[in-house]
Amino acid sequence: MPTPPLPLHARLALVVQRETGRLLGPLWIPLVVLVARFGFGWHFEGLRESRREFKRLRTASSAPLLVCANHLTMVDSILIAIALGSPWRYVTRYGSLAWNTPARENFANTWYTRVIVYLAKCVPVSRGGDRREIGVVLSKITWLIGIGEVALIFPEGGRSRTGRVDADAVTYGVGRIVRALPDCRVLCVYLRGEEQKSYSFLPARKDRFRVSVQSMEPKTAMRGLRGSLDVSKQILTQLADMERRHFNDRQ
Amino acid sequence: MSDEEKEQMTEAEAFERVVKILTPHVRNTDALKSVKNETNILDDLKVNSARLVDVVLAFEDDFDIEIPDEDVDSVNTVGDCVNLIVGKAS
Repeated sequence: MPTPPLPLHARLALVVQRETGRLLGPLWIPLVVLVARFGFGWHFEGLRESRREFKRLRTASSAPLLVCANHLTMVDSILIAIALGSPWRYVTRYGSLAWNTPARENFANTWYTRVIVYLAKCVPVSRGGDRREIGVVLSKITWLIGIGEVALIFPEGGRSRTGRVDADAVTYGVGRIVRALPDCRVLCVYLRGEEQKSYSFLPARKDRFRVSVQSMEPKTAMRGLRGSLDVSKQILTQLADMERRHFNDRQ
Repeated sequence: MSDEEKEQMTEAEAFERVVKILTPHVRNTDALKSVKNETNILDDLKVNSARLVDVVLAFEDDFDIEIPDEDVDSVNTVGDCVNLIVGKAS
């Protein structure tokens, strides 16, 4: 089994975190969406298709579902959440809201950011930190997906420094999660603002995002770390293809 | 040569090969001069965490072993690598 089993106390802690976020969801979920849509003036194209596909995947089967996306800004997880569901859907079907693994140094370094991160279904991870801690985070995400939750992972491991999907920047964590979950499906999401030239902290105000989605079930005959890398590479290749289509459509 | 001496030889040999594999990825080359089992690969040698996967794959090729995903979690120091490799190779 590619990820070690999660101890009972860790599972309970995640359930408590989920239920706390769910209870307060009617307050914070619409607020976040309102700030994004009206505070920053962000608009989205392709929402209907992406939300329909996500809903179809969630309702068609109970097989594990992982969302993988390109990564350009620090609020990509919020943008992707908006792309995949309405605030009403997340409030009423809280399991559809994806778990995230933000960098602890960016998002969990003060008490108030820790509170936000806790409520917003996040499992912080220290980038480049202790491998055992990273292994525990991967185990948590794997367990959550296994019980029917959704998680969002950026296969590049961080914001793309080139502004484009870098198929060589592959990390093995995504592949490890997929390999640990039989029949795991992956929903690839490519999302980009019209003004987004490279990576940044926030997207430009009033930027217009185009979103496309593509589901896949990556498989590999390879074992161990090579198998995980192979799966991660398949997902990144899919995202790179979606990026090519994104720019071709703009011409 | 006793079994203990053989084991020590194996660890010493593994240590040497581990350092050789790590060297191209090391950004703090000064730390290489005093490298020991306790040397942390990411913090002391400043190996990029994303490159750690390449390092582990190189271990697999060089030592002809297979390292499961979960064992990668135990790799923090040079000594961790040596112990992992010696454990797999024996």
